[in-house]
Amino acid sequence: MIRTSLALARRTLLDAARRPQFLAPLVIFPSLFLAINTGGLHRSTDLPGFPHVGGFLDFQLAAAMTQSLLLGGVAQGIGTALEIESGFFDRLVASPIPRVSIVLGRILAGAVIALGQVLYFVAIGLIFGASIAGGLPGLLIVLAIGVLAGTGFCALGVMIALRARNASTVQGIFPLVFVVLFVSSAFFPRALLSHPADWIASYNPLSYIADGLRDPIISSVSLQPVLEGLAAAAGVTAAFVALAVAALHGRLREA
Amino acid sequence: MSTAPAIETIGLEREFGGGLKAVKGIDLAVAPGEVYGFLGPNGAGKTTTVRMLVTLLRPTGGRATIAGFDVATQPADVRRRIGVALQEAALDLLMTGRELMELQATLHGIPRRAVAERAADLIGRVGLANAAERRVGTYSGGMRRRLDLAMALIHAPEVLFLDEPTTGLDPTSRTTLWEEVRRLRDEGTTVFMTTQYLEEADQLADRVGIISDGLLVAEGTPAALKAEIGAPHLDITLGGEAPDAEAARRALEPYGACRPAPDGAHVSLQVADGAAAMAGVVRALDDAGLLVEGIELVRPTLDDVFLAKTGEHLEGAAEEAAPA
Amino acid sequence: MSRNAAMIWALARRALNEITRVPGAAVPGVLAPTIFMVGLSGVFGQAARLPGFDAADFRTFIVPVGLLQGAAFTGAATGVNLARDIERGWFDRLMVCPAPRTTILLGVVASAAVRSLLPATLLTCVAFALGVDFPGVPALLLTIVLIMALATAIAFYAVIIALRFRTQQAAPLMQMGGFIAVLFTAAYAPKALLAGWLSAVATVNPVSPILTGVRQGFVGDVTWHDTWPALLASACLLVVLGSWAVHRLGRVGD
Repeated sequence: MIRTSLALARRTLLDAARRPQFLAPLVIFPSLFLAINTGGLHRSTDLPGFPHVGGFLDFQLAAAMTQSLLLGGVAQGIGTALEIESGFFDRLVASPIPRVSIVLGRILAGAVIALGQVLYFVAIGLIFGASIAGGLPGLLIVLAIGVLAGTGFCALGVMIALRARNASTVQGIFPLVFVVLFVSSAFFPRALLSHPADWIASYNPLSYIADGLRDPIISSVSLQPVLEGLAAAAGVTAAFVALAVAALHGRLREA
Repeated sequence: MSTAPAIETIGLEREFGGGLKAVKGIDLAVAPGEVYGFLGPNGAGKTTTVRMLVTLLRPTGGRATIAGFDVATQPADVRRRIGVALQEAALDLLMTGRELMELQATLHGIPRRAVAERAADLIGRVGLANAAERRVGTYSGGMRRRLDLAMALIHAPEVLFLDEPTTGLDPTSRTTLWEEVRRLRDEGTTVFMTTQYLEEADQLADRVGIISDGLLVAEGTPAALKAEIGAPHLDITLGGEAPDAEAARRALEPYGACRPAPDGAHVSLQVADGAAAMAGVVRALDDAGLLVEGIELVRPTLDDVFLAKTGEHLEGAAEEAAPA
Repeated sequence: MSRNAAMIWALARRALNEITRVPGAAVPGVLAPTIFMVGLSGVFGQAARLPGFDAADFRTFIVPVGLLQGAAFTGAATGVNLARDIERGWFDRLMVCPAPRTTILLGVVASAAVRSLLPATLLTCVAFALGVDFPGVPALLLTIVLIMALATAIAFYAVIIALRFRTQQAAPLMQMGGFIAVLFTAAYAPKALLAGWLSAVATVNPVSPILTGVRQGFVGDVTWHDTWPALLASACLLVVLGSWAVHRLGRVGD
């Protein structure tokens, strides 16, 4: 199972590398948002109650990462749906591989792409003047939470694709990414969100993931936000991987 | 009536980026009211030639005129006089047949008060009156082709371009389309038709042009082109334990030139009227004590013409020859 | 002249079929600006407390941004639809008909102006329901004109992209153009509060005066001082992008 999952993951990654025009939106749109948010609202750090940060960019990097990772999940979902539509999925099912590796392979590929996405935004942040207050340990924590969360979002995308069966339905989820982000503390401190966004944010796992990504950037590593971030990312990943596998079995039963 | 060609090309060329020349200098002339079949395999330059003639592509060399108007310098005048049904029946699946026809009529400048009547007339002519209020997305492939043809005829064009009009159609739909092409010819419309199907060219075309690798390699009536290759001949298969092709050759000398095959069991007889001579040939072989296992009248086909000119077969020939 | 008008009307009516005949097709484009407006005001609402913010609240300040975003999405969708028509061969049918190229182009983009009013209407209704004050009839009329003009201008841009790349895969490029045009302005905060680089970009961005024009009534009164630059910028965008699109259409087949 591990071997076939790795082989399928490698195939997905090769496909992505050969068609970078499909990867670009995963970082370009969040980069544009990052630029606009930072350029437009950089004075927000003066607001009473805003955490102490080196700059608004430092604060916003986690939001850009979270957004990009969510879009990565949507992209893997679209990729899965396209494989179903083209019949390649059926070809895999008919082959003698462990079927769960069909799902795991794509999720693994998503994890590798997630690593690239997080590194991209770390680089962008450093180029434009941000710094990682937590140093190398902080960077490693950011990468860990980012890759874990990205893996979970990929599993979510794959699960939706297996249930929806067509790419345009999965694509329709794109606006929902922003809805879920808006009711989290990804873009702004939870204490400064309007009601009821602040209340929803308390229960939104994206808040904890974003805060976990943010903490090592804006301050030295603090235990609580990091542990919460890791726990939220791990919980999201475990839940969505299980649901994706269940969706796969459900689909195979129907066939 | 004008005697100038309806379609004329002189050294027509089209070069794409990277130096790829899809059309390398084509000279042809199609008379008004003629059905011209344009044959060639995939990648020969058929579609590129058609796209230049209908002003979708600009020639990079030579010139072409349609009804006397230059495709490069007078494209709007050309478009007023042509109807086009391209390889893909490009239809809006959300619209009904009637709506599409009326849109086409409007785009061709037909006066508003005449649009509905003209659309209904054409839809009825292609046998789609009962389906006119249905969305095109519910139409079969044959129905979509017929609608495509009707749209190409909405403004009564002088010259009609059909790019592989029956590809993918069932035999009944194909026959219906052939009848329509014949009717158009009878009405005086010039038809320029590309096809991969030899039978289609044979049945419909007054003249045929064969394109290969961007050049016109043969042109003429189907009969004349086939006659160039050779007369019909009889293929005779001899039976028995020891077939004697040499003895068959001697027996058939009175009928015409006879060539025995190296295997000794087959002979090929060139004969003027093969069908009428068949009975006599069989009798002659029987009188010589030779057993005839099979006898077939073989006429040259356009694929034989193509093979002779280019060294390759046409794909349409392969499809038509394939067992059902 | 009337024949050209009939052609434009026929093509525009065809383009509107996507909304009237495909259930749900228009929903994402209509909903997205409203989602952004509600979401952004929920997230960044406290920013309006910053000294120098003129608006009563952040939501009122960004309603005009949402209106222009809706116009930009609609314009981009026109280009995506044209790219789909190119891929499916329908565009060839338009190119071989004798209608003038300008007429065809106007027919293709005309629906964008009408469609842009759908997300605008939803957003405005939701904004009013959430407490944003009515800007007044003159401001609303001006807003309608500016939204329709921007949608048409972005549609010209998207058509240029569609004709260049001839594939729906260029959709992100079309969407990004409108996105950047609308948001790289004083979208989230007054110009004085923007970071230096964004302030410089906003200064040269032709959509900035359009945003200022639309913001009238929501923030401050309608004045000729802020109206004429908006109209001029709209006209310039239409002329420049429209001419470029006509030129590009004329080069089809080269």
